[in-house]
Amino acid sequence: MLVRARLSGYSHPVAGHVLSSGSQSALREANSARLLGAVRQFGGITQVELAEATGLSPATVSTIVKQLLLAGIVETRSTTRSGRRAQMVTLAHKSGLLVGAHIGTRALRLAIADSRFEILAERTLPLPSDHRLDTTLDRTALLAMELVDGLGSTTSEILGVGIGLPAPVDPTTGMILDQGLMRGWANVAIADVVSSRINSPVAVDNDANLSALGEARFGAGRGFRDVLYVWASYGTGAGLIIDGEIHRGPRGTAGEIGHTLVDPQGPICRCGSRGCLDTLVGAQALIDSLRISRGPMSLSDLLEFASSGDPGCRQVVADAGAAIGVAVANLAVAFNPEVVVVGGELAQTDVIFLDPIRAAVNHRVLISRENPLEVRRGELGSLAPVQGALAMAAELAHVPGGR
Amino acid sequence: MIDRALGARQDTTMTAPPLLRMRHISKSFGAVQALINVDFEVNHHEIVALVGDNAAGKSTLARVIAGVHQPESGTIEINGEPVTLPRTAVAQARGIATVFQGLALAENLDVTANIFLGREVREHGLLAEEHMETLARDYLERLNARIPSPRTPVSHLSAGQRQCVAIARTLVGDPQLIVLDEPTASLSVAQTAEVLTHIQSLRSLGLGVVFISHNLTDVRAVADRIEVLRHGRFNGSFSAPHDAYEEVIAAITGATTIRN
Repeated sequence: MLVRARLSGYSHPVAGHVLSSGSQSALREANSARLLGAVRQFGGITQVELAEATGLSPATVSTIVKQLLLAGIVETRSTTRSGRRAQMVTLAHKSGLLVGAHIGTRALRLAIADSRFEILAERTLPLPSDHRLDTTLDRTALLAMELVDGLGSTTSEILGVGIGLPAPVDPTTGMILDQGLMRGWANVAIADVVSSRINSPVAVDNDANLSALGEARFGAGRGFRDVLYVWASYGTGAGLIIDGEIHRGPRGTAGEIGHTLVDPQGPICRCGSRGCLDTLVGAQALIDSLRISRGPMSLSDLLEFASSGDPGCRQVVADAGAAIGVAVANLAVAFNPEVVVVGGELAQTDVIFLDPIRAAVNHRVLISRENPLEVRRGELGSLAPVQGALAMAAELAHVPGGR
Repeated sequence: MIDRALGARQDTTMTAPPLLRMRHISKSFGAVQALINVDFEVNHHEIVALVGDNAAGKSTLARVIAGVHQPESGTIEINGEPVTLPRTAVAQARGIATVFQGLALAENLDVTANIFLGREVREHGLLAEEHMETLARDYLERLNARIPSPRTPVSHLSAGQRQCVAIARTLVGDPQLIVLDEPTASLSVAQTAEVLTHIQSLRSLGLGVVFISHNLTDVRAVADRIEVLRHGRFNGSFSAPHDAYEEVIAAITGATTIRN
């Protein structure tokens, strides 16, 4: 079961504004929902701060916290704020914490969840291009510890840590084997480095695999046994869920559609092969194709411009969809999934990117006759690999519901 | 320095003048030549990092942009229009907002009062407290800030939250250019994550940002372009996503130099 803790910020401060009916129980319920909303937004927050954040009186906050405490929804711990004793309120997580991290090409996303996968705290740290192993793993471990600390907990309460990386990971050693895909990251026992800092079990996997797992468990792939998940970001990958399990292959390269051949005369890819799909649709290739008309820009600029109707940027995203669509359609014919789920940054542009993939899939007669294969947009957005990492952490810690 | 309309918005073409263009700026303090013939440009929707060793002239350049220091020579243009910035108030009126290293927040006042300090909104001669609080809430929301309430006293906030209040303060009066001097110095990783995310949101709002820092990891994470100063002179311009750490470090330490 997953309840996503996402709040767009606090709403009006004055109690009762949101109510149309004036009944007492409705008021109590609304106040309680507002208070829980603030707890979710801040992760850990003191009762005094709760009063400020919700606009409720300290007495009301105290009463509601007591009720939620009895119901087992929140927990309180003693802490200090500005030298004074205070009661820190968090969502209940007595049964331990899970840590899910996605170390992406340009951002680190990290979430702390309870054993029921409710996210208690979450941060995104922008990363430099070509970020370095030592700095990034150091920051990953520190960020996890700081967020756990912010919940009034200690690292001893961490049950397991899952980490997603934008390169194929060898399933037996947990190492990145390929030298070219993440410079300086190959042949390092990443899980051991993090585990020695946090002192809890750590597992590492490819981000497309974890996103597939995340969507299959909690998102658009729920209820399916065989899912083809496409992760279209700075590079393109796929995650294959076969009979409910991630299929990695002995070297962990299963689903690496970004490194399948699309142009025998094309340029050499980072991986060392010629004419890979990624040389055509990787972030750099997309940005470079707009160099004459728009100059340098970031991938997020490009996607934002495409969504707001810029014709050149739309064209680039749609063409990427068409090229990735061919690879996806070929894989779908060979693998025969029940559903195709598309995620990653490019999927933010929705139909601009997804429709060309749908068209490519529909052109393959074998998978489009009678029950045409559905191509869906992922539901978890950029949190997909983090959610998958949380699921992997739960499996590692043998938490029920982890699988 | 370099002439590219990096990240120019939809309609602004590449021929539009940069948001800020400084040419041949020199400034000395007695025998110390803080800035020597420095050119500097910032476009809308662009984060330009200013890096260099201690005493390279980064903060002096920031103070010239903010109207604190007057250059001895050189020209400054804002959106193509030549300007002088004799006082901080003039720079502010021109849409330039600066957060200095000390932050200069008033501990005893709450978040709203700090955001509007010296620029209080008045109605019929009285402080428009509710209006200011609404605006403060809006600024904090735009930055996606995790601050319980605009009524929280600043003394109750963490270092990261304070930095966020200081950044929110720059949004008063719709600025075009935000100058941040060492915004991530002495912050924890979680706080750095928030501040860097705020800096990215400023860029998405279409603003130009000057990001001064020692920390190349933070700089390369969010900047579009990196300008290096060394002993008051310009010593190289780099594309943050493309150029390697080593090249930037070589320019900072003087292993590579540019003759100008």
